[in-house]
Amino acid sequence: MEAHIASTTQVTSRFQDFWGVFRKNYMGLVGLGMLVTAIFVAVFAPVLSPYDPSSTQDVTTGDIYNAPSVDHWLGTDDAGQDVLTNFIFGARVSLTIGFFAAFISLVIGGVFGIVAGFYGGRTEEVLMRFTDIMLVIPDLPLMMVVIALTKPSIFNIILVIGLLYWTTTARVVRSQTLAVKSRKFVLRARSIGAGKGHIIRHHILPLVMPILVVQAVLVVSSAVLAESTLSFLGLGDPTALSWGQMLNYAFGRGAMSTGAWWALVVPGFGIVWVVLGLTLLGQGLEQVLNPRLDTHHLMPSRPTVKSEAAQRSSEKSLLEVKNLSINYISEGKPPARAVENVSFTLKEGELIGLVGESGCGKTTLMLGLLRLLPSAGQIVSGQVYYKDQEITALSDEELNKIRWRNVSIVFQGAMNALNPVRTVGDQIAEAIRKHLPDFPAEKLPARVSELLELVGITSEHKDYYPHQYSGGMRQRAMIAMALACEPQVVIADEPTTALDVMVQAQILDLLDQLRKKLGLAIIFVTHDLGVVAEICDKVLVMYGGVTAEYADVDTIYNSPSHPYTQELLKAFPDLTKPKKKLVSIPGYPPRLDALPAGCRFAPRCPLAFARCHTEQPALHELGDTHIVSCHLVEAPK
Amino acid sequence: MSQQTLLEVRGLKKYFEAGRPGFFSRTVRHVHAVDGVDLNLRKSEVLALVGESGCGKSTLSLLLMGLEDPTEGMITYDGQNITHLNDNERKSVRRKIQMVFQDPYESLNPTQTIEEIVTEPLVVHGFDGSHAERGEKVKKALEDAGLRPAEVYMKRHPHELSGGQRQRVVIAGALVLDPEIILADEPVSMLDVSIRAEIINLLAELRITRQIAVIFITHDLGSVGFFADRVAVMYLGRIVEIGTMLDVLERPQHPYTKALLSVIPVPNPRMRRERIILQGETPNPIDLPTGCRFHPRCPVAIATCKASDPALIPLTKTHQAACLLLVK
Amino acid sequence: MEGIKGYILKRWQYLLKKITWSLFTILFVIILNFFLFRILPGDPARAGVRDPRLTKENIEAIRVRYGLDKPIINCFESLNPIKIGSCTVNPLDTQFFIYMGNLLQGDMMISFHTNQPVAEMLSERLWNTIVLIGAGQLLAIIFGVLFGMFSAWKARTAIDYGSLTLSLVAWSIPTFWLGIILLFWGSNNGMPIAGMSTPGMSSAPLLTRWGDIAQHMFLPTLTYTIVYMGEYMLIMRSSLLDVLSEDYILTAKAKGLSVFQILKDHAITNAMLPLVTIIAINLGFTVGGVIQIETVFSWPGLGMTTVEALNRRDFPVLQGAFLLIAVTVILSNLLADLAYSYLDPRVKTE
Repeated sequence: MEAHIASTTQVTSRFQDFWGVFRKNYMGLVGLGMLVTAIFVAVFAPVLSPYDPSSTQDVTTGDIYNAPSVDHWLGTDDAGQDVLTNFIFGARVSLTIGFFAAFISLVIGGVFGIVAGFYGGRTEEVLMRFTDIMLVIPDLPLMMVVIALTKPSIFNIILVIGLLYWTTTARVVRSQTLAVKSRKFVLRARSIGAGKGHIIRHHILPLVMPILVVQAVLVVSSAVLAESTLSFLGLGDPTALSWGQMLNYAFGRGAMSTGAWWALVVPGFGIVWVVLGLTLLGQGLEQVLNPRLDTHHLMPSRPTVKSEAAQRSSEKSLLEVKNLSINYISEGKPPARAVENVSFTLKEGELIGLVGESGCGKTTLMLGLLRLLPSAGQIVSGQVYYKDQEITALSDEELNKIRWRNVSIVFQGAMNALNPVRTVGDQIAEAIRKHLPDFPAEKLPARVSELLELVGITSEHKDYYPHQYSGGMRQRAMIAMALACEPQVVIADEPTTALDVMVQAQILDLLDQLRKKLGLAIIFVTHDLGVVAEICDKVLVMYGGVTAEYADVDTIYNSPSHPYTQELLKAFPDLTKPKKKLVSIPGYPPRLDALPAGCRFAPRCPLAFARCHTEQPALHELGDTHIVSCHLVEAPK
Repeated sequence: MSQQTLLEVRGLKKYFEAGRPGFFSRTVRHVHAVDGVDLNLRKSEVLALVGESGCGKSTLSLLLMGLEDPTEGMITYDGQNITHLNDNERKSVRRKIQMVFQDPYESLNPTQTIEEIVTEPLVVHGFDGSHAERGEKVKKALEDAGLRPAEVYMKRHPHELSGGQRQRVVIAGALVLDPEIILADEPVSMLDVSIRAEIINLLAELRITRQIAVIFITHDLGSVGFFADRVAVMYLGRIVEIGTMLDVLERPQHPYTKALLSVIPVPNPRMRRERIILQGETPNPIDLPTGCRFHPRCPVAIATCKASDPALIPLTKTHQAACLLLVK
Repeated sequence: MEGIKGYILKRWQYLLKKITWSLFTILFVIILNFFLFRILPGDPARAGVRDPRLTKENIEAIRVRYGLDKPIINCFESLNPIKIGSCTVNPLDTQFFIYMGNLLQGDMMISFHTNQPVAEMLSERLWNTIVLIGAGQLLAIIFGVLFGMFSAWKARTAIDYGSLTLSLVAWSIPTFWLGIILLFWGSNNGMPIAGMSTPGMSSAPLLTRWGDIAQHMFLPTLTYTIVYMGEYMLIMRSSLLDVLSEDYILTAKAKGLSVFQILKDHAITNAMLPLVTIIAINLGFTVGGVIQIETVFSWPGLGMTTVEALNRRDFPVLQGAFLLIAVTVILSNLLADLAYSYLDPRVKTE
């Protein structure tokens, strides 16, 4: 979706952008709150604690492991000391060690990662091999050995944790550096003549920083855990009472047998509080800095809204779409009207082109035909019929019988439309097994070979995995798969985009041949006007989610009635008129969540008049199969 | 068109190591990405470099930019040999040759503002004017690239602009150094059809207002028509045909060019033509075919094509093609 | 196009590379292990020969057998300020090579504490640890994968948020503390709380004995499962979410497959791949957890042995235990790598 300069010139800083999203992330906010509380306790320990930790009172056996009382809110420990006081001061030790150790490990990991990622070659090889070795050596035993052989002091503990906990950081930073380095703006900086230092400072670091921040949060939490574990195992600094040390003393000195649960529960609670706070904060930051759509293809889609069935056209058609409208619903926003009031019919052996620029709703329409919309998408009115069945009214089970068996889809095969861990032949056979259960199993391999040969792939390739295919072959394999159950209708979604012109011509030729040979009806979704002119019978031009013009192919190219169709043809290069100057349409396609009030093309239309900006034009029928939505054609000529 | 030659390329080759065929094998295989290219570019001329993926056009652009070191051959700019320069010597040449990339979403650093992006080349080249002069230069570059008024855009980040506007920012970043050559690598293929023309028209305008020569790299022969003076067609690391735009589009001589032209869709159903569809795919540039590298897919190949590798043959004063059938 | 032949060749190359790499890592660990104990202040040679628990004869025997009076290694003089060797010494007649030679014969010195050969002591304990890790890991993976799958499938529902929160909490609890809490609970509910079996059980029938061991295993295994289940659940959830938003899942849906068929035939295998990697990478970390669990529950495994040796400053045992743990982890890692190469056909030599 294209972004635009709004009329207001409000400029936001990157931090404001970040905070705007982060403040809506509950996980991150709770984590931040927990961490801030812990730091607050640590900083103001002397003010908060009821007793002075350094005061050595006379301890009698009666003072040991006293249950919580008014004097000692959280009871006393094995030395008769107030657990609450030690708990509050313990926060200082645990957090100090955590932060310092994390700092060391981040510096090492960050430098290793950036140097390895940026310089590559031998340097990277050596650094990453070393990182791999350090990664497999178990940390805790190694830390135990090193501390046992040196002296358990805070300094040593910080150093050991810092020197051993950098491996993940190094790996994460390296892969991010590699990703940034391969981006085109780094190449652009190099082509300008920027040196390595300049590129690292201005292009690599700013993009690695967010990852490093997330990593920092996570490393602090690991370091706090590591310190408490070491202390619990008796390797802590005996002069500094961290939470782990408190647990060590309590566990080793009979808190268990005396039932003094408070001496065991309280320090552990502190560790969990800090580590959980950091983990939540890290998760929250990660979600904000590296957002991903938390939706997937198996999420239940919104129920189709039933609307009064319209009169179907009298002619016999395979697929009929009647006044179909599809919205995208997201909370707190008005629905995006991705497809509105689109109708067309597809007859046997016919090839319809569905043309439009990015964001015009053509892909949504295509997915809507078989109710494959993402979970936010909803059919809000209209019907889709396959022969006599109303697809928009079927149950999921009934619909699954039509999918692929009667109407199949060729997705853009250059993308990830084939499962990478199963052979191509297996994936083709799967469709047959699903829809034609009576098909004899022993004939299945022969059938798969036959299908592949039909699209020009030799049969030995059926045992190959998708990654062993070239882009063109993957696209052919997708077509073979779409034909597996001999469907009547094939929907082809940009099947030639991202392919070279020659391969594109091969695929077009193939589809055309198959249509003639098997009598297929095809819906061809594309942005390429040239391809449509080459093979289609009828064309549906979409703009901003609505039908701009629907007519047979000759009308569209030789006497178009909609200004958008006319302008689009002027913008498209024509090899037969090499000297023709290309004309672009000023402005940009509308955003589906901010559609203009009147005609959606009005802001860019050279012929627009006042009415166009206020009133959406109706669909005008100019002939049997010529529909135009434009105020200019109101009165039929 | 008799102006001075600005950039000249002679016998340029670039091979990449492609690893060993087997675990114990000693021979190293090579990808012959660019395999003997001769070219020249005149002042304020538009040269289109056309070919399918894997034909070496992108490697060639990196060689011209000095971002890869050629294996063999020579590049001269304005009479100066720039084939192998160190970073310092290269710097003055870099000012004169600027690049525009395919994907405007990728070629701008998302953390920088538009102003920072366009100022960066000046910083890198140690522009010694005052702060105000620098601002003026940046503003002028943005406005020349069609982003008017520049103030509206300067404080924004790339994600706030549309694809066409971002590509204009990239062009502004090139203009700010007053280049003589702009090397545009598929500058419109990621843009919507309705806005492609505005970028092409902008480049066409710049050659007139600023006398900038443009090397326009594309896979789409159809889009070069109105804009290019000359067209070079590449196949497997070589130029197989080169000539004026009308030479190549209306009188193609090489069978590969003919096939390419025949499969480009024409936006008119009344003009559906017989298409010459080549079977198979471009062979990988590791194991090159013997003889003419196009012969395994050539519809008109003869026996000698397997044995002999044709060089570019001059057909007219402006038109050359590398095909044995053209030898008289 | 590579062809099937090239594909098989690549897999062999991959295996060979991984095995060589593991051997190299083991060598690195052995060298590290040797020098850690000789260079850091608590040098076992000095510590050992001063250990009051050893008789004079024993000390002398150790000296001769392990060459503790010989230089650590030759030819470090010019490089190292600590000067631990001399170039005039025969390189084979140094502590390092004697250590390596002994190690090759499975000799890892003698415990200062029990006078038992270290190798013998440890091999017994290794199995107890493997049993514990095996059971815990298996349960953690099974439950983690199941919960993760369920959570991803029902993404953005109450079930998902609930299990996500629980996993994050489980992930944040220190292993030893969870052990203590469970131990506390167990001891109040009549569960066996220490060791591997009830004393005096050795004469009981086999089934009773196994039942007894199973009872003792319950709490340690539960601790292990809870701690690692959370992590596996998080990884499985995010990896399955990634997979389910891939294009090939849409293809599968368009093919008319049911939700169950899509999960079973298209999603799970792909989603398991990152999990296998993480399990492999995590093995070293897992050992840390086991050490804590064994300490809390007095489970007689390698972890408890390590902690005991640490407290008694029994260096030969410590050294041996560290080596054994590290080598076991490296080998398990190799195993996980090989498993990965069978799950993912895309694995190449690089």
